[in-house]
Amino acid sequence: MERDDRLALDAAALAGEILLESGAEIFRVEDTIYRIAAAYGAEEAEAFVLSSGIFLTSEGEGRKTFARVKHIPLVGARLDRVSAVNQLSREIEQGLHTPEAAMERLEAIRTMPRLPAWLQVLASGVGSGCFCILFGGDWADALAAAAVGLLLYLYLLFVVKGRLSKIATNITGGALVTLAAVLLHRVGLGHHLDMMIIGSIIPLVPGVAFTNGIRDIADEDYIAGSVRLLDVLLVTFCIAFGVGAVMAARHALTGL
Amino acid sequence: MWEWIVQVLSAAVGTAAFALLFSVPPSCYLRCGVIGGLGWLCWLSLDRLGLGTVVSIFDATALVVFCSRYSAVRRRCPVTLFLIPGIFPLVPGAGIYWTAYYVVTDQVALAAQKGFSTLKAAVAIVLGILLVFELPQGLFRTLAEGREK
Repeated sequence: MERDDRLALDAAALAGEILLESGAEIFRVEDTIYRIAAAYGAEEAEAFVLSSGIFLTSEGEGRKTFARVKHIPLVGARLDRVSAVNQLSREIEQGLHTPEAAMERLEAIRTMPRLPAWLQVLASGVGSGCFCILFGGDWADALAAAAVGLLLYLYLLFVVKGRLSKIATNITGGALVTLAAVLLHRVGLGHHLDMMIIGSIIPLVPGVAFTNGIRDIADEDYIAGSVRLLDVLLVTFCIAFGVGAVMAARHALTGL
Repeated sequence: MWEWIVQVLSAAVGTAAFALLFSVPPSCYLRCGVIGGLGWLCWLSLDRLGLGTVVSIFDATALVVFCSRYSAVRRRCPVTLFLIPGIFPLVPGAGIYWTAYYVVTDQVALAAQKGFSTLKAAVAIVLGILLVFELPQGLFRTLAEGREK
């Protein structure tokens, strides 16, 4: 009778998948897959993880061969899921869950709800206002930046809703922020247009990809790291393009 | 004095707000905020001492990464939870804006200058992250255990 590790490897693969799509580093994804597989006795497992996919195979004397290739698009930063899977993998190592129970827990983690939209919109506004002050804006600028930050997240959550490509989202996001800031500045809310714009584009800045890209390269996951840093450059250029386009239009219209 | 308090508090609240946007578990908001505030305080102090942007950002990043790794061991959760929001205040958002602005207003020399200093700031962050991740995990474990006793 061949030993069948399918369920254990399914659980390991699903854990890796959730980690990768929620914004974990490559090292953590591979490490978690190996830990879960080993905890269920599937030490033969070999995982290869890229920034957008997982390859997982297992073969050996007296074992059924297992192979899985899965393409995994990034869903967005869900650090609560990263934390939950991390905790679950510790518990699996301690032998607290059967593979079936682990699968159930993983499915539950996957459907964990995000915080309500209004709270995210509020956080975007508060973040924008605070960062405006950091970059040298005064109170009026911060209030204006907070208003623009609220508007930006309303746009991202209710208008874009993942329907636009990353490029279109960031160009229009940058343009919307700049347009709103220019209009607010025009009616006299906020004194320094530059500080207002800088504060309120911060929610678009690709901080997760930047930090993870550097860490992947430090862990010698060069392919994943380069892809992530390329993503950072692309998103940054798109934001700058959106901001630049509106500023150029303003320059042409008002000469400022 | 007042200005410093406002700056550090803004950094802390701003960092906590971004922690929320990245869905960090609510029990970690406070710690994220403290880390972001400390990083900004470090940047501000060194910059006012006249050490230059690159050195200031490098040191502030190193401090943020150090505190994040320590917190990760203390709270037994991934370092990413603290690191990503904590590093946000140091990201050169202003540099990106000014570079774009000078490009579209046709001030090429200024654009090149701003672009280069933005790149330098980014490299300083990269080096800060790399350096502190080379420290052995055992060091943070020892530090955390020392605190728990």
